[in-house]
Amino acid sequence: MEELFGVPTDRLMWILLAVCAAGLALLAVSALRNRVSFRMAARNVPRRRAQTVLVVLGLMLATMLFSASFTTGDTLTNSLRLQALENLGQVDVEVRAGGSDPSGGQPFGETTAERARYFDASVAGEARDRLSGTDRVAGVAPLATETVPVTAKGTDLSEPTVDVLGIEEGSMRGFDRITTASGRTLSVGDLGENEVYLSADAAEGLDVSGGDVVRATLAPTPEAGMNAEANAGANAGANENAAAAALAAGAAPAPRPAELTVAGVYEKGANPSASSSMVMPLGRLQERVGEEGRINSVLVTHEGPAVEGGASTGATVDALGPVLRENDLEAEPVKRDAIEQADEGGESFTSIFLLFGQFSVAAGVLLIFLIFVMLAAERKHELGIARAVGMRRGHLMRMFAFEGALYALIASAIGSVLGVGVGWLMVRVIGEAFAGSGFDIRFATRPENVVIAFCLGMVLTFAVVLISSWRVSRLNVVRAIRDIPEPDSRGRTVKGVLLAFLTPVAGALLIFQGLQAEQMGLYMLGISLVVVGAALIARVLRAPERIAFTAAGILLLALWLFPGSLGPEGMTEGIDLFFISGVMIVLAGVWVVIYNSDVLLGAIVALFGRIRGMPPVLRAAVSYPMQSRFRTGMTLAMFSLVVFTIVTMSFIAAAFGSIFSDTDRLSGGFDVRADAGYAAPIPDINEALKSAEGVDEKDVAAVGTLTGLPLDAKQKDTDRRADTLFVQGVDGGYTKNVGYGFKSTVAEYDTREEVWTALREEENTAVISADLAPTRENFAIGEGQPSIKLSGFYGDDPALPDDLYIRAESPESGEARDLRVIGVLEDSAFFAPGVMSSKATLDGISGSPLPAQGYQFRLADGADPGAVTKDLEKAFAENGLQAVAVEKEIRDGSASQGLFNNLLMGFMGLGLLVGIAALGVIAARSVVERRQQIGMLRALGFQRGQVRLAFLIESSFVALLGIGLGVALGAALSVGIVDSFAEQIAGIQYTVPWTTLGVIVGLAYVASLLTTFLPARQASKVYPAEALRYAE
Amino acid sequence: MLARKKTEAEGRGGSVVDGVDGLMIEAAGVQKVFEAGGLRVRALRGVDLGIRRGEMVAIMGPSGCGKTTLLNVLSGLDELTAGEVRVDGEGIGGMSDKRRTRFRAERMGFIFQSYNLIPVLSAIENVELPLLVAGKKPKKARRWALDALEMVGLPEQASKRPAEMSGGQQQRVTVARSLVNNPSIVWADEPTGALDSETSKEIMDLLVRLNREQRQTFVLVTHDAAVAARAHRTIRMRDGNITSDEANGSPKGEGR
Repeated sequence: MEELFGVPTDRLMWILLAVCAAGLALLAVSALRNRVSFRMAARNVPRRRAQTVLVVLGLMLATMLFSASFTTGDTLTNSLRLQALENLGQVDVEVRAGGSDPSGGQPFGETTAERARYFDASVAGEARDRLSGTDRVAGVAPLATETVPVTAKGTDLSEPTVDVLGIEEGSMRGFDRITTASGRTLSVGDLGENEVYLSADAAEGLDVSGGDVVRATLAPTPEAGMNAEANAGANAGANENAAAAALAAGAAPAPRPAELTVAGVYEKGANPSASSSMVMPLGRLQERVGEEGRINSVLVTHEGPAVEGGASTGATVDALGPVLRENDLEAEPVKRDAIEQADEGGESFTSIFLLFGQFSVAAGVLLIFLIFVMLAAERKHELGIARAVGMRRGHLMRMFAFEGALYALIASAIGSVLGVGVGWLMVRVIGEAFAGSGFDIRFATRPENVVIAFCLGMVLTFAVVLISSWRVSRLNVVRAIRDIPEPDSRGRTVKGVLLAFLTPVAGALLIFQGLQAEQMGLYMLGISLVVVGAALIARVLRAPERIAFTAAGILLLALWLFPGSLGPEGMTEGIDLFFISGVMIVLAGVWVVIYNSDVLLGAIVALFGRIRGMPPVLRAAVSYPMQSRFRTGMTLAMFSLVVFTIVTMSFIAAAFGSIFSDTDRLSGGFDVRADAGYAAPIPDINEALKSAEGVDEKDVAAVGTLTGLPLDAKQKDTDRRADTLFVQGVDGGYTKNVGYGFKSTVAEYDTREEVWTALREEENTAVISADLAPTRENFAIGEGQPSIKLSGFYGDDPALPDDLYIRAESPESGEARDLRVIGVLEDSAFFAPGVMSSKATLDGISGSPLPAQGYQFRLADGADPGAVTKDLEKAFAENGLQAVAVEKEIRDGSASQGLFNNLLMGFMGLGLLVGIAALGVIAARSVVERRQQIGMLRALGFQRGQVRLAFLIESSFVALLGIGLGVALGAALSVGIVDSFAEQIAGIQYTVPWTTLGVIVGLAYVASLLTTFLPARQASKVYPAEALRYAE
Repeated sequence: MLARKKTEAEGRGGSVVDGVDGLMIEAAGVQKVFEAGGLRVRALRGVDLGIRRGEMVAIMGPSGCGKTTLLNVLSGLDELTAGEVRVDGEGIGGMSDKRRTRFRAERMGFIFQSYNLIPVLSAIENVELPLLVAGKKPKKARRWALDALEMVGLPEQASKRPAEMSGGQQQRVTVARSLVNNPSIVWADEPTGALDSETSKEIMDLLVRLNREQRQTFVLVTHDAAVAARAHRTIRMRDGNITSDEANGSPKGEGR
C-alpha cells in the first residue's frame, strides 16, 4: 500500500512519527518536572499484573485492526505487483495501435476478443532512433503477438488461449532472456522451420515436452485477408488465403491449424504474455498471419530493475510522440499502469477492512475510556488522599496521562506486530477465495505501514487517555477519601443546563449544514442532537428521567432504523451513513435498556427465580450491573456495536446469497456459456453443432451468440469525452431465449419480452446493465467507475426517459449511430454487462458482418451441463472454445463471495475481543471492589459455587444483553437495508442467517464467559474472613 | 482433651445467667497463624473458651490482639491452624467448606462494623438474602424479612437502599439480617464501631433486648467498654491469648 487517506505512506509515517515523538517529548519534559506523578504512574503499571495484561489487551485492539488492514493491503499489492512483473518482465512501455485496449472490461471471459492491429515494422527502428539519445532506455524491440488456441497432437488436451510471441532475437538486448527451469537460456535463432518454444504452464496444460507436436490455429489477419482477396481467384486452393478471403467476405474462415514441434520449454522470459505462451521467430509468425514486414507491438525497456522501470515512462512516451502521431499509434505505460493497478487493488482492500473495522475501533475507543475510568474508580481513595496532601488536578491528570502513555506504548507496539499476524491469517483466507483463479497470494508487509499502525494506535489511545484523565482528575476530595458516590445533580448544574440548551442548537446547525450539502448523515445527526437535547432539557425541567430518556431513545431508534423517512428527497446517502446509523442505533438502544433496567431485572428474576437456589444468586448477580449504569452501558454499547455490525453484515450477505440460489435469474436461463477466440471463430454455431463430434445435438435446446465491437461511446447531447467501450451485439437466438428482466424501461414497453423483441427488431436500440445507470442510493464500496458515464435519469425509477441515447462510433469504419436506450437490466443480469444492442446494429456500425465471439447455450431438460461443457470444448478445441457451466460458475462465485464475507465478518468479529476484554476488566475489578461483600455473602451462607455462579451470571447478563441487543438491532436495520437493495436488485430476499447468528452468539458468549471465569473462580476461593478483612 | 478444657472454660465462664444453660461454643487450644511476605504472625496462641447458650459475651482487647481472628475462627469464617472448635455440639474445624457454609447459613447470624450490606439491594432484599440462601420460598422470605425489619424498628425503610439510610439504620438492617433466619448464635464484630454514642446505645439496647427475648447467644467483639458492660461476660485478650474472663456482675440491661 503506497497511499493512505490520499497521503503517500512514507510521508504519512514521518508525519505520524513526528506527532508521536512530539507528544512523547512533551510527556518526558512534563515527567521530569513532575517526578512524583511519573513515579506513581510507573509503579501503578506493574501493580496488578493480570489487570495490566487486560488493559494492554484492550488498548491494543485498535492498533491491531489498523495493522491487519494494512498488512492485507500490502500483501495484495505485493501479489498483484509480482503477477504484473511476471507478465511484463522488463517491458516498461508498449507501443500499439489505438483502441486495442478498450475500457468496459472483457465481455467474453478469458478470451482475447480483439487482436492488436498490425503496422509497419519500421516503426520499431524509428522508435529506437527517437530514444537512442537517452541513457534511460535499455532496449527497443519489435514484436508480433497473437492469442490462439493450441492443442496437443494426438491427445484431447487443449489450451484455448496461448499468447504467441514473434520475437526478433537481435533486438532483445535489455529485455529478459528466455530461460528454462534449470536456468539455461533458449535462443529463438536456434529454432527450426516449424519449431517453437513453449512456456512451462502451456506445456503442463497440454502435457507435452520437448519434441512433441502441438497444433496452433494461426489465422491470417483481416487486412491480410483483404490483400489475399485480390488473389483469391488466381489461387483458390491456397489454404490461408482462402480463409482470409472467406473472412473478408463476411463468413468466418475454417480454422487451419499449423503443426509445430516443441523445441524447448521455458520457465520465464517471454514478455509480455500470460502464463500460457509460445515463442517463435518474428518472421515466421508474420508469415503465418500474412503480415510480412509488419508488427503489432514495439516494446521499450528502461535501465534498472523491473519494478522501477515505470518511473521513466513519461519521458519515453513524450519522446515517442512524433512517431506515435505519424503512425496513429499509442504508447501504453504498461509497467506503470500495472504497478498502479496493483497498488489500487491493495488500497481498495485496505479501505474495505478499515471501513468495516471502524465499528470495532469505535468499540475500542469506548473500552479505552472505560478502562481508565475504572482504573480511576479503583484508585479513588488514594487519588483523594493525593489531592488532600496537596496534589493539584493537573498532577492527577498528568499521572494518568503518564500511565496511559506507558500502556499505549506497550499496547501499540504489541498491537502493530500482532496485526501483521492477523493480516497474515486474513490473506490466507483470501488466498483460499482466489484458489483456482491462478492468482497467487504472496505475503508482504511494509515496515512503514506497521509504523503507521503503531503511531495511529498510539495517537488514538493517547487522545482517549487524555480525555479520560481529565474526567478522572475532577474528583471531590472528601467523597473520594470516604468512597461516597458522586451525587446525581440530574443535569441541574450550570454545565448541565448549558449542555441541555446548546445540544439542540448544535443539532439545528447540523440540520442546516446537512440540507445545504444535501448530506443525509449530517442532517440525521442534527435531528438526533435535537432529540437528545430535548430529553436533557426535560430532565433539567424536572421531568421524570426514565420517561424523558426512554422516549428520546425510542425516537432515535425509530429515526435511525428508517433513515430517509424524515429527510427531503434527493439527499446523498453514502456508506458513511451505515457507520453513523450503526453507532446511533446502538447508542439509542443502550440508552433505552439502561434506563429501564429495573423492569428488565424484575422480569429476569420473575422468570428464573423459581429455580431452586437461584433467587439469592440471581439477585446478587443482576443487581450490580443494573446499579453501575455507566460501566454496564459502556460494555453493552461495545458488545452491541460489534455484534450489531456483524449481524447486519450477515443479513446483507444472506440476502445477496439468496440471489445465488436463483441461478436462472442470474444466468438469464442459459446453462452453458462459451467464448471463442478471434483466431478461429465458428461460422454458424447451429450448423456446427449438427456435425460436432461428441456433442449430442438434442442436448442443446437453444443457442444465443454475442459479438463484441470496441466503439467510441458517450451519452448523446452531452459534452463528455467519448470512452472506448465494448458494445455487445446479440442475435435472435439470444433475444428470444434470454430470461433477464428490466428494472427500468421506456414507457412503450410493458414486458421484458417486448423490450427484447424491440432490441432484435428495431435497429439502433440498446439496453444497458444496471451499473451504468445512476441510482438514488449509493451504497457501493470499492467498486470502480462505470465504463461510460450516463446521467439525467435514475436506474431505480421504473420509467426511462424517451430520449436517452448513446452515441457510438467505430474508429475503424467511421460509422456513428445513436443507440436509443430502451431498458436498464436488473442487477442480477450477471452475464450481460455494459451496453447491448442487436448484431445487425453492430454489423452496420462495423461496416461488415462480425464473427461471433461468445455463445450461450440453453440445454434440453435432463442434459448435464458439466458433460455438455466438456463435449463442446473438445469438439471445438481448435476454435479455442472455452465453455463453462453457468450454475457451477455461479456456485463457485457464491462460494468465493461467501468466503470473503466470512472473512470480513471475522475481521469485524475481532471487535468482539473489545467487549470481551471489557467484561474481563469489569469482572476483575468487581472481584477486588466487592471483596468484603463477597465475604459477607459467604458468611451468610453463599457456597463457593454460588459466588462463582453469581459472577458468571452477572457477566452473562451483560454479555447476553449486549449480544441480544446487537442481534435485535442488526436484524431490525437489515429489514430496511435489504428492502432498499431489493428495490434495486431483483431476487434479493430478507433471509435470516440462522447458522451465522448461532455462531456469532455462541462464540461471543462462550468467549465472554471464559474471560469472566478466572476472576469468578478467584472470588469464590477467598476465605470469608480474609475477604471481610480486606481493604483496598 | 476437649472434655477437660470444657470444664476449664466453664469454670472461667463465671456467673450463671438467667436462661443460659449448656455450652453453645467450645474452643480448645485454638491457634491461628498468618503467613504473609515471609512473616509468620501467631494471631491466636492456644485459646480455650466456653460460651453458654443464650449468653451475651463481649471480647475486648487492644488492636491486633486477635479478637476478630478469634471471632472468625469460632464462627467458621476462617480456618484454624490448630485446636478444636465445637458450635452447638458440632466440630466445625473438620467440616468441609460446603458443610461449614451451610452450617453458618442455618445457625449463625453476623453483624459487622462496616455493615457490609449489599449496596445494590434494598433493605428488605438485604434482610431476606440469608433466607433465600437457606432455600426459603421468596414469598415466605419476604414476610419474615419484613417481620425482622419491624423487630428492629425499620419497617418503613424496607425499600430504601443502604446509601439512602443513616449509619444507625444500616446497622439495624444488619441486625435484622443477622436474626432473620432465627440463628442460634449471632456474631458481632465491632457492631457500634462506626456509630456515634447515641446510635451506639440504641443498637446495644436492641441487641440486649433481642438476646433477652429471643434467647440467642451473642458474641461481640468491641473496643468500647460501655458496650462490653452490657454483656453477661467480658473476655479480655492480649497477644493472641485470653488474659481475663469475667462475668459482668450486673450487666447494664436495656435502656440503662
